[in-house]
Amino acid sequence: MLNESRVKLMTRMAAFEAGEGKKSMAIGTYFRSDYIAKEIIKSIIYGTVAFGLILGVYLVYDFEVFMENMYEIDWLAFGKTLLFRYLTAIGTYSLITYIVYVVRYSRARRNLQIYYNNLRRLRAMYRKEAAAENKMEE
Amino acid sequence: MAQLLMIREQVKSFYSRYEGFCRPVLKFLLAFVTLTMINRSIGYAAVLTNIAIVLVLALLCSFFPNNFVVVIGVLVSLLHLYAVSLETVVAAGILFLLMFLLYFRFAAKDTILLVMTPLCFILKIPYVVPLCAGLVGTPASVISTGCGVVTYYLLQYISVNRNTLETLESEPIFVLEKFRMLIDALMKNREMQVLIVAFAITILVVYLIRRMPVDHAWTIAMITGMLVDIVVILVGDLKYETRIAIPALILGSLAALAVGLVLQFFVFNVDYTRTEKVQFEDDEYYYYVKAVPKNTVSLADRKVKKIKGQERSGGAAGSGSTGGGRAKRSSAEVKDVQEYRVRRTATRDRGAGNISSSSRNKNSTKRIIMPEDSVGRSERLTDIERAAAAKARAERNKKT
Repeated sequence: MLNESRVKLMTRMAAFEAGEGKKSMAIGTYFRSDYIAKEIIKSIIYGTVAFGLILGVYLVYDFEVFMENMYEIDWLAFGKTLLFRYLTAIGTYSLITYIVYVVRYSRARRNLQIYYNNLRRLRAMYRKEAAAENKMEE
Repeated sequence: MAQLLMIREQVKSFYSRYEGFCRPVLKFLLAFVTLTMINRSIGYAAVLTNIAIVLVLALLCSFFPNNFVVVIGVLVSLLHLYAVSLETVVAAGILFLLMFLLYFRFAAKDTILLVMTPLCFILKIPYVVPLCAGLVGTPASVISTGCGVVTYYLLQYISVNRNTLETLESEPIFVLEKFRMLIDALMKNREMQVLIVAFAITILVVYLIRRMPVDHAWTIAMITGMLVDIVVILVGDLKYETRIAIPALILGSLAALAVGLVLQFFVFNVDYTRTEKVQFEDDEYYYYVKAVPKNTVSLADRKVKKIKGQERSGGAAGSGSTGGGRAKRSSAEVKDVQEYRVRRTATRDRGAGNISSSSRNKNSTKRIIMPEDSVGRSERLTDIERAAAAKARAERNKKT
């Protein structure tokens, strides 16, 4: 028999599954540390590519000056400066990534918690219905 | 105002009912306007300016996710720039790549601002962007709007200096010179930098104020944001001599305020809840459910009955008589009162246990009729209603 409140609950849950739930469920398959580590690794890769691009643009912009002073440049100091800037940039970017994805993970978990509570309610409804049917048969 | 509210209700109702059609149409319009504007500003590749291609691309955008408009806009811009020179494509491509790598992977929803900001600049209403971003966005919109401003100024620079960029020969020394010109156009453009800072401050101010728990927070946020925007731009103009046109700034800010008010009217406190079509199953059934959001009755559907003045009767309630002090009324008046009783009952006693039957009239407003006996006894009825009910009952008794 159709149970109106059960259909309403199932509809709400199906709407969640089809919409926001897709992302939340994908996030929910990870442990918190795994999820955040994955995103930070992605950020390091993207950040490195971006740093490379910016460095390339900088070198092209100052190409003539760079070529003129090529033999006068202290390459070790230049390398150290570059490395320091790279690490600072990547560190900052990773920190931002960490904050953003910690918030996203906790939000997704909260949504999933609501979804699982609804699942429990649904199961309870089915049990109650089955018990009522058994009683009728007896 | 009532008319406007009615229009809003109708828009909301229409959108939630035909959401499946509205979204593609809106996406198509956005893509069409964006591509047309790109073609007008930097339409150097003749093939892409063909209206048929614009329509096809816009149609494609209407079936794909929102951000596809941005992807198509960026690709079309790069193809146009290729007609100018390879260096411009590389410079613009690096800029877009940096934006997507560093920022838009975090805030995919904000990507649309990358298109909307240059679009508003071209339409001469750039000051709309920070107000609207502050009203409906998040503080992160500061970065999206900044990217949009940079994109506009890069494209504008290329558009203005097209001849120079085209005529420089392709020897390595000139290639470097072209790069330098394009980079300088961004790094040394004070006007652009002032606008980025002004927009960022405006977005933050608007966002913070509109979230405050005060009455008219949105209106206060818009007016404050507009003033802050003007002041920051004027200060930047004075400091860096950017030569921003002051009358255009003031008029543009007023236009932004007007757009903000329209946005407030259609967005603030309005839920354009979507119609959900879902499928699921259990052990016994397959369910194909269409969940339609509840809508309030629009003003046009309401029927207001005016009740003519009548004297109050002290002892009429539940007694069956009309009372000594009451003047005799015509049957039309009585009918009015009866109608009033039914409607008021429907409003006041909805969900109460003494409702016996319900039906829908031609205006699809619900009419709930109370049982005859409970009318006189109900304590929730006013004296006028009780008197009217008593009189109606007396008349019916007389007839029978």
